[in-house]
Amino acid sequence: MAGKSGSRVPGTLKGLALTFKTAMQTMFPKRGIKTLIPAPSIGAMTVQYPHEADLPTPRARGVISLKEDNCTSCMLCARECPDWCIYIEGHKTLAPPRRAGGKPRSVNKLDRFDIDYSLCMYCGICVEVCPFEALFWTPEYEYSEARIADLLHDKSRLGEWFQTVPDFQPYESGSEAKVEKVPR
Amino acid sequence: MTSVTDRQKLQYIAAQAADARVNVELETEGMTLNLGPQHPATHGTLRIIAQLDGEQVVHAEPVAGYMHRGYEKLTEVRTYPQITTLVNRIDWLGSFANEVPFILAAEQLMEVEAPERAMWIRTILFELSRISNLILFLGDMGVQLGAVTPVFFAFRDREFVLDQIEAATGGRFHPNFDRIGGLKDDLPKGWLESTKGSMDKVREFCDQIEDLLLGSEIFQARTRGIGIVPADVAMQYGLSGANARASGIDWDIRRDNCIGLAYPELDWKVWKHTDGDSFARFWVRIQEVREAAKMVDQLCDGLPAGPVMAKVPRIIKVPAGEAYVATENPLGEMGYYIVSEGELTPFRVKIRSASFSNMSITPWLLRGVYVPDIITILGSLYFILGDIDR
Repeated sequence: MAGKSGSRVPGTLKGLALTFKTAMQTMFPKRGIKTLIPAPSIGAMTVQYPHEADLPTPRARGVISLKEDNCTSCMLCARECPDWCIYIEGHKTLAPPRRAGGKPRSVNKLDRFDIDYSLCMYCGICVEVCPFEALFWTPEYEYSEARIADLLHDKSRLGEWFQTVPDFQPYESGSEAKVEKVPR
Repeated sequence: MTSVTDRQKLQYIAAQAADARVNVELETEGMTLNLGPQHPATHGTLRIIAQLDGEQVVHAEPVAGYMHRGYEKLTEVRTYPQITTLVNRIDWLGSFANEVPFILAAEQLMEVEAPERAMWIRTILFELSRISNLILFLGDMGVQLGAVTPVFFAFRDREFVLDQIEAATGGRFHPNFDRIGGLKDDLPKGWLESTKGSMDKVREFCDQIEDLLLGSEIFQARTRGIGIVPADVAMQYGLSGANARASGIDWDIRRDNCIGLAYPELDWKVWKHTDGDSFARFWVRIQEVREAAKMVDQLCDGLPAGPVMAKVPRIIKVPAGEAYVATENPLGEMGYYIVSEGELTPFRVKIRSASFSNMSITPWLLRGVYVPDIITILGSLYFILGDIDR
């Protein structure tokens, strides 16, 4: 028993030394404690958020943006949404004809397009089902609000997000998918 | 296995002795200890009502259901594409793995098969979600014993894997990337290379955890010989995954009953341990993370070219019929039993989640153990509350 307890102390010390060594790797990255200049900002895995922001990947599902001109208020996104957090209203109007002398065209004018981000599950089904390229993901994430009602973004606010939509990335080799273009 | 049955007998005797002592020695007053539903040492909101005699547990009863979200019922009023976003939330630490069995079962009913490239990418993401899930267990097991450092390492190194999942799918925790007939999108350029880089980080983490915990004598003293599950008891309670393999049951769905994933084409090994104690469960999982990192490397090297989506109708109606598909999820066997009547929504979905069965052994396992060991045993059984309550 005495021998066993004797061997237990070095084991504990070994563990403590390992923990200390790893902790020091953050303070003195790469070179160890040989150079006594601590550089925690290099070894740290986190960023100091309000001063510097972490960049999400271009595919990150941050917020949904709307290109209003492309929306025909077909209601596909509102119907496919799993928790029905998209509200759309629209009416038909007559637009001037494309060519001179033609008949005026009947187009769908969007009155209301709201997404309630307090309900949104960020599944991306609406973006996927949209047949007219009106909805896009952007990786922006700084839109927290003090009041829950302010999380309802209307079509002008959703339109502002459209400026931040990144281009689609090229695919990995061997892929047969075609890289789509964002209609800017 | 003989040593285990001896230990089992001893545990039975100890439990019966503990029972008898409460009845006979009236001096020791029984006490009821509530662990949870809100307790830092429980994962989520599991409540354990433990009746104690001194320091020993006489009877322990798990109470689940504090976080029941009714997914089985919700699936009856959601279409098939919508259900994948719901089932993401069952085991939230390895969410991509939750989608795969559901999609495979639906594909079986629709008689479509995903293209080979989609199958391989599915397997990559499946293993990445296994790694990100089990890394957190490896760090968390230290916290159960009072070692706080490993969990910070776990959160740090898990981020490398989650970054890869986010770069491919767009979501760190809820990918919603799997579709009936393939995948939502192909991988972005440079993803395979950076994934292999993150696998090196994972292996480094495993070595570090092995240094910190497995070699530590305190850790061994707290886990070796504690919470022993013999193989026959594990079978009776329906344990699966690493918990079953730690009891010496050589059973892995990835190898024995693989449907629709690329495991048969890989070179890998199913790890098992004969002890069945908390230490064995930890050891099997650390080997599984290493094996998964090895598999991801092979999958990244041999990814076939081609499309990632088969031809499926735009509006998905699954023909009438029944299908059950189970896969080896990070926590164990997870399966979906889908009954379809040819509508847009399934008629009934039964979700077999691993954690519920893994947790159901606790009344048997906790009988006769000491109070501090409750936490390590629960920690080593490793369940996710979302997976229990669904």
